[in-house]
Amino acid sequence: MTHQTDDTNGTSEAETLRSRRHFLEKVATITFGTMTLTLFPGWSGSDEESSGSDGEKPSNDDQPPVFGYLVDTRKCVGTGKCLTACRVENDVPDGCHRTWVERYVHFKDGTVQVDLVPETGYADSDMAAINPDDVERAYFVPKNCNHCEDAPCNQVCPVHASFTSPEGVTLIDDERCIGCAYCVQACPYGVRFINPVTETADKCTWCYHRIMRSEAPACVEACPVGARIFGRLDDPNSEISRRIAKFPTHVLKEHLGTRPTTRYIGISGEVT
Amino acid sequence: MKRILTFLRDTRHLLVLLLLIAAGGAGFMHLRGGMIPESFGRIGPYRAAALDEIAARPSVIMADSTCLKCHADVGEERADTLHTAVGCIHCHGLGRQHVAEARRAVDSPDVEISPAKGWDGNFRTDIDLYITKDRATCLACHQKVVGMPKEFKKIKGVPREFKWINVDEHLEDEEAEEPESRETCFECHEGHNTEP
Repeated sequence: MTHQTDDTNGTSEAETLRSRRHFLEKVATITFGTMTLTLFPGWSGSDEESSGSDGEKPSNDDQPPVFGYLVDTRKCVGTGKCLTACRVENDVPDGCHRTWVERYVHFKDGTVQVDLVPETGYADSDMAAINPDDVERAYFVPKNCNHCEDAPCNQVCPVHASFTSPEGVTLIDDERCIGCAYCVQACPYGVRFINPVTETADKCTWCYHRIMRSEAPACVEACPVGARIFGRLDDPNSEISRRIAKFPTHVLKEHLGTRPTTRYIGISGEVT
Repeated sequence: MKRILTFLRDTRHLLVLLLLIAAGGAGFMHLRGGMIPESFGRIGPYRAAALDEIAARPSVIMADSTCLKCHADVGEERADTLHTAVGCIHCHGLGRQHVAEARRAVDSPDVEISPAKGWDGNFRTDIDLYITKDRATCLACHQKVVGMPKEFKKIKGVPREFKWINVDEHLEDEEAEEPESRETCFECHEGHNTEP
């Protein structure tokens, strides 16, 4: 009896071992098999999708325009005309700004003062006068949304309300925006705000409604000295393309890797 | 026969589970479909219809070319001066109503085009069309302020140089009759043609 029992036990143990080995072999085959199969793109499901989008890809003539925005700080005289134009065009509420103009004043003692150009210009404004003899150099820097190619604001939007249009313009879908202001925090340039009227995020759109009708953005149209230049970068004969080819340009906070598309002439690293 | 019945009895709970999963999945897909906007994802991970909605907004600021269609004489008057770069809107307002009336008047001559009014001193005034002879309008650009470049750079093809002025000194030097008056600039200068 004892012998028989031993024998039975021995057989069942062997079976258990064999089935375990089978199991492990199968697991290994399936795992490595799947991994190997994914190496061939022809076997994965994504192939159909990519060939489908290839078929829909527009031809060269249908490519969306590539817009560019250039600010020539050597020309800006701080009239504030762009600020009023933007406010009127886009119905921006008081206290909010889609665009603004900073004045950098570098004094001879090494200090730097940055203030905002009033919307009515400096004439008749109650800003403290600066003695020109104390100033080493001073200039105006108009600012608005940089329409980054790698925009952090788009990345953080939880409802896909912030996005980049095919033309490279960063826009906000008012209908989807829930006003969480996460993008306001994410923008390193501080161009976004929560519009108190619509209670959604708001910012410069390069006047998307105007540029799609081949009109210039309101601020560009209003600038009396040509400090703001807007145009198509895909046209080598446009004013903006010619100027970018002629002068060295700079973008704001380049080290952040957001790849801003708004370029500046005549400023250096101290302007951020 | 008995085998089949046993099989069905033993697997009934599995079938119920499968049905529940299928119903739950269908419900989820239905809800998901209802929550994703129609044009979402057509171009990218956003609602494609938003592009058309934003692009459909009306333009407010008008280019000078709109005004010069009728007021070509003004265009000639300022053609060779620095003021050729200054938009009509800066001294005359948006003129939306004025232009709309003018466009209608092309077809029906009896449409009255409302004339320009005086300016109320507000840069964001509600007055549709105005004529300003106010030093505030001029000084918005011409008052010398720290930060302005030493001279106007070439403006849109006008190769003229202009040194900034300190208005008080300028008025004294030129012996303005009424230096305190709002209209003092217009004692010597015209708006369109800037020659003294």
